[in-house]
Amino acid sequence: MSIESPPRAVIGTPHRPFRRGVDNAILGGVCGGLAIRLGVNERTIRIIFSLLALVSGVGLLLYMLLWLTLPRANETQSIAHRLLGRRRELHRALFGLILVVGFIIVLARLGIPSLGIYTWPFLLSLAALIGVWRGATPVEHKHLEELVRSAPLIRVPASPTKLLRVLLGTVLVLLGLRTLSRLHGVWGGTTPVLFGTIILIAGVLILLAPWWLATLSELSGERRARVRVEERANVAAHLHDSVLQTLTLIERAAGDENAVVRLARNQERELRQWLFDPDHHVADDEVGTYSSHLHAMESEIESDYGVKVELVVVGDCTADADVLALVAAGREAAINSARWSEAPLVSIYAEVEPTAVSLFVRDQGKGFDVEKIPHDRQGIALSIRQRMCQHGGSSALKSTPGAGTEVQLGLPRTT
Amino acid sequence: MAAGQPRVFLVDDHELIRTGIRSELSSSLDIVGEADEVDAAIEMIVERTPDVVLLDVHMPGGGGLAVLNAVSHKCPDVRFLALSVSDSSEDVISLIRAGARGYVTKNISAPDLLDAIYRVAAGDAVFSPRLAGFVLDAFSLEGKNLEAGDVDPDLDLLTPRERQVLRLIARGYSYRDIGTELEISTKTVESHVSSVLRKLQLSNRHQLSHWASERHLN
Repeated sequence: MSIESPPRAVIGTPHRPFRRGVDNAILGGVCGGLAIRLGVNERTIRIIFSLLALVSGVGLLLYMLLWLTLPRANETQSIAHRLLGRRRELHRALFGLILVVGFIIVLARLGIPSLGIYTWPFLLSLAALIGVWRGATPVEHKHLEELVRSAPLIRVPASPTKLLRVLLGTVLVLLGLRTLSRLHGVWGGTTPVLFGTIILIAGVLILLAPWWLATLSELSGERRARVRVEERANVAAHLHDSVLQTLTLIERAAGDENAVVRLARNQERELRQWLFDPDHHVADDEVGTYSSHLHAMESEIESDYGVKVELVVVGDCTADADVLALVAAGREAAINSARWSEAPLVSIYAEVEPTAVSLFVRDQGKGFDVEKIPHDRQGIALSIRQRMCQHGGSSALKSTPGAGTEVQLGLPRTT
Repeated sequence: MAAGQPRVFLVDDHELIRTGIRSELSSSLDIVGEADEVDAAIEMIVERTPDVVLLDVHMPGGGGLAVLNAVSHKCPDVRFLALSVSDSSEDVISLIRAGARGYVTKNISAPDLLDAIYRVAAGDAVFSPRLAGFVLDAFSLEGKNLEAGDVDPDLDLLTPRERQVLRLIARGYSYRDIGTELEISTKTVESHVSSVLRKLQLSNRHQLSHWASERHLN
């Protein structure tokens, strides 16, 4: 049987049954459970308990009592119930209790009377704590072990230096307390107050500094982990936007071989660029370079005409009007090849030299006799030539029937 | 196994790629083994001494470069043809520098790959258009951004003929087409390419690193 409990207190909504909290537990989950039961903020309950504990130790005792008698959320038996069910445990508990009581009586007899009203609740709580430890379920045991491991002073494994540090810190804290407590009234003198306070602070620092540092480094580790997670999320987002979408499209276009090839090729190029060559993207507001315009053209022709374009660029320069004209002429030549040559591959080679910019567009398709250019293709050849002439460049066309076509374009460089 | 078929070893961590290559080329090649990870590849290559190793660039455990470095001094007769999905310049140059006789990308057609393997088996170099472009790019830095003091004294520059050949490769010409274009024999074209490869591998070229780093930074 399991009893569902909300993980946190719902303010203003009391909840039954009364169980110790699990998800909002710091120690035993008593305050958390109480908060859930009453529908009150956990922190309020914790502060009340702390105050009660400080004032008379009653808070501490109450806490331990509830810890022992309240079942944990999702458990049916309380720790006390479990302990009482086991004979040997019962005997041990009784024996422990007798020992504690005897010890206190002996102390009183010896004339070392108590540290006052704190002694009883404190010692009883200690006994209760031992009971909790013995009677806790494995799950709660694990929680407690974790608690102990992350506690400021008792971190395991202990080393000699750590022991020395704890010892030194404790001595300093006690010394500081003693110095302060010996003063009669607040006006007992400034020097001892100062002295006592400094010793006390030093002790606390020595005790807690390593824990504090460890917490800090854990924080920066967390930050690093978060950066990694973010990077991963970026990659995942990109893959989702591009690759997964394309895969879906491919699935849908399964019957159409050309479409599948085109999709796969587009995706391949896009992914490749993203992985190995992130600098070639041409932003819309940018002038761009020769190479970036050529890469854009490569993608365009590959996706529009379903042929593979192999682009090799050597060197680079900014794309002024002349260079843009060169690219445009090259585009026409490449489209021409893609459309008419029947070759699966168009090779484009671009080179920037100190004195010239050149572009070669080649296919190994069916080619044609340059002397007998069909009318519809002459126009394109002419427009390429005219375009190059206008910008002071040159063009040449080579084609052999059955062996392919190459268009050679050149532009002198002025700068 | 027919006589004269090169003995080929496949190294690729993708089963699919190996299967594809095997099914397309096993009739024309003698495939003597395959491996999907670096250590196994090294061991088996040393044991079987194939003529050509088809070597994947990107693999866990050091990649193709680790295999190349481990095997090449033990078995100088084994030739390597690097096979990769990536065109990234660092990969290309580092493998060639480490001794690979050529570099092709995985989207190469089966006949072209076969051609490349035969060429490597015969001791020639295989330059894809892109590799030719890289080399031209690397060597074009010479005389431009370098001051006199920077120049390596035993700098073996590319000869004009070698540049011509590389340019034609980059333009998509086959070796035979290049021979026709330049009116030289295919054999001469091959020897030019091999000599470029040698220069690329042997010269203590500070331009190459300079070029690579410049490329990388941009």
